[in-house]
Amino acid sequence: MKKDILRLGITLALFAAGACVALAFVYTITGPKIAGLESEQLAASLKDLFPDADSFPAIEPGIASSDTSVVLDKSYKALRGTDILGVAIKAVGKSYGGAASMLIGVRTDKHIAGARILTLSDTPGLGANAVNPAYFVNKSSKTTFIGQFTDKAVSDPFVVKQDVIAISASTITSKSLTNIMKKASDAGAAWLDANVAGGVQ
Amino acid sequence: MKRLLNILLKGIITENPLLMLMIGLCSALAVTTTVANGIGMGLAMTFVNVFAELVISLFRKLIPNDARIPIFIIVIAAFTTIVDLSMKAYFPALSKSMGVFIPLIVVNCIIMGRVEAFAYKQPPLDAIFDGIGMGLGYTWVLIGIAAVRELLGAGTIAGIQIMPSSFQPILFFTFPPGGFIVFALFISLNIWLNKLKTASAAAKEAA
Amino acid sequence: MNLGTIFLSALLVENVVLMRFLALCSYVGMTSDVGQSTGMGFAVAFVTVLATAATWPIYHFILVPLGISFLQILVFILVIAALVQLVEFYLKKNVPGLYLAMGIYLPLITTNCAILAVTFDNISKDYSFIQALVYAVGASGGYLLAMILLAGIRQRIKNSPIPKFLQGTPILFVATGLITVAFMGFAGMIK
Repeated sequence: MKKDILRLGITLALFAAGACVALAFVYTITGPKIAGLESEQLAASLKDLFPDADSFPAIEPGIASSDTSVVLDKSYKALRGTDILGVAIKAVGKSYGGAASMLIGVRTDKHIAGARILTLSDTPGLGANAVNPAYFVNKSSKTTFIGQFTDKAVSDPFVVKQDVIAISASTITSKSLTNIMKKASDAGAAWLDANVAGGVQ
Repeated sequence: MKRLLNILLKGIITENPLLMLMIGLCSALAVTTTVANGIGMGLAMTFVNVFAELVISLFRKLIPNDARIPIFIIVIAAFTTIVDLSMKAYFPALSKSMGVFIPLIVVNCIIMGRVEAFAYKQPPLDAIFDGIGMGLGYTWVLIGIAAVRELLGAGTIAGIQIMPSSFQPILFFTFPPGGFIVFALFISLNIWLNKLKTASAAAKEAA
Repeated sequence: MNLGTIFLSALLVENVVLMRFLALCSYVGMTSDVGQSTGMGFAVAFVTVLATAATWPIYHFILVPLGISFLQILVFILVIAALVQLVEFYLKKNVPGLYLAMGIYLPLITTNCAILAVTFDNISKDYSFIQALVYAVGASGGYLLAMILLAGIRQRIKNSPIPKFLQGTPILFVATGLITVAFMGFAGMIK
């Protein structure tokens, strides 16, 4: 009896060990790729928001957030040569299904260059439509939820259902993302005011 | 060769896991909001199914009966993780849109069921064909449901606009209730087709 | 998110069965009797909470620090399988009536996707230990709710005139779809 259990245990352990080895092997290949994807996505989004810029040096020590609910993870200057076109801020805040991170660009004219959602884990079919490029909050003009913020003035109220169109049946997601947008763009505009004289069109 | 072909076809039609055996349902309804998701899930599940059946069939003499369930789980979990990691690395958008359902392949009753009922007792080549057959059976139903839900719910199939722009998408179909109702109709259709099949077979016999 | 929101959200707004399509096999297979569904619901709730209590610390204190978080799927499902085995042994010894009544469905709890999904959610939603436990209770409560609802409806269906093309399993899914429409209304509860 004891010998049987020992045999069972060893067989199990062997299979488990085999599985772990196989997985570790696959992980060494895919792990770095997965980590690299995040920085690739960031670089692509930065270029997307400021197509005329040619470099995005980080702003150190970073722009501070006025609100603890939104963390301004990293901030970048969008430069064309030595001219500042605006700032791009990676902001993280709580949304319906966990933390959501966005990249928000603010131009020197205090209008939003655009926004990109980097990570969002809200309900598929509802809040997750914020990242769906085929989901339009305004069907006639084919504007996505995030698209409606492009060219918006930072000084606007940013209130869902007033000047911001919500995603149907996803008020919490809409409000959370709008909140992140507002805090980040306010901070970005404030930084531009303090650090850039005049600005470039 | 005919035997292998029969094994393949069994999974696709007569013993279709979703429509006939009614297993593996969870992922089937959750990911069928778009055809792209349906295809992705179908292929992922087929991959895990085929390799799990293959490995377990290869080692079937070495797997003691009393410890077989944990070992099945280990093997299935290993391949599920491989699919999960690979998708995260090479198909990140698809991986994100399917969310937790890729890791959930490990508890997909179809794979567990086939491994226990078939792969544990059959030679590797048969196991491979059974894996592919069941996987294909699963995939085509997924694509079917997804096509209906995406077409009616968004006017597109695989992202390509099919319906005219005047078509108002019926969002209901992309929501859970729509999924349940579309699935109900698929089952209903399948029952009816099977009735026709047995009726025509009986008629042929009587004739 | 405060605990109340997490609980209500898991129970109603994002009901594991009706809104997230999880645990459907047991949902269809074990709801022919209200008593059976209730028993199953509680068994699943028990395993879910235990699984959360076990997997959360394992992930945060073992997998992550050792850099082997890629073993998450493997480790979590093995933990759940082990827990179900323990529950089986316990029931066999102490509550043999329930053990026999549940029959084959007891080991099938291992493949209940809702349980594994909850353990995964605890990690992906970055919950603290307490939040994870509340989420587990809420989610399994939602499962119990869905099971009892469908069992009740199935009783009624036995005596109702159902159109020919919906008889059998299809009407169950149509009924489920309708319950889900009602549940979608809960979305407005969480402000």
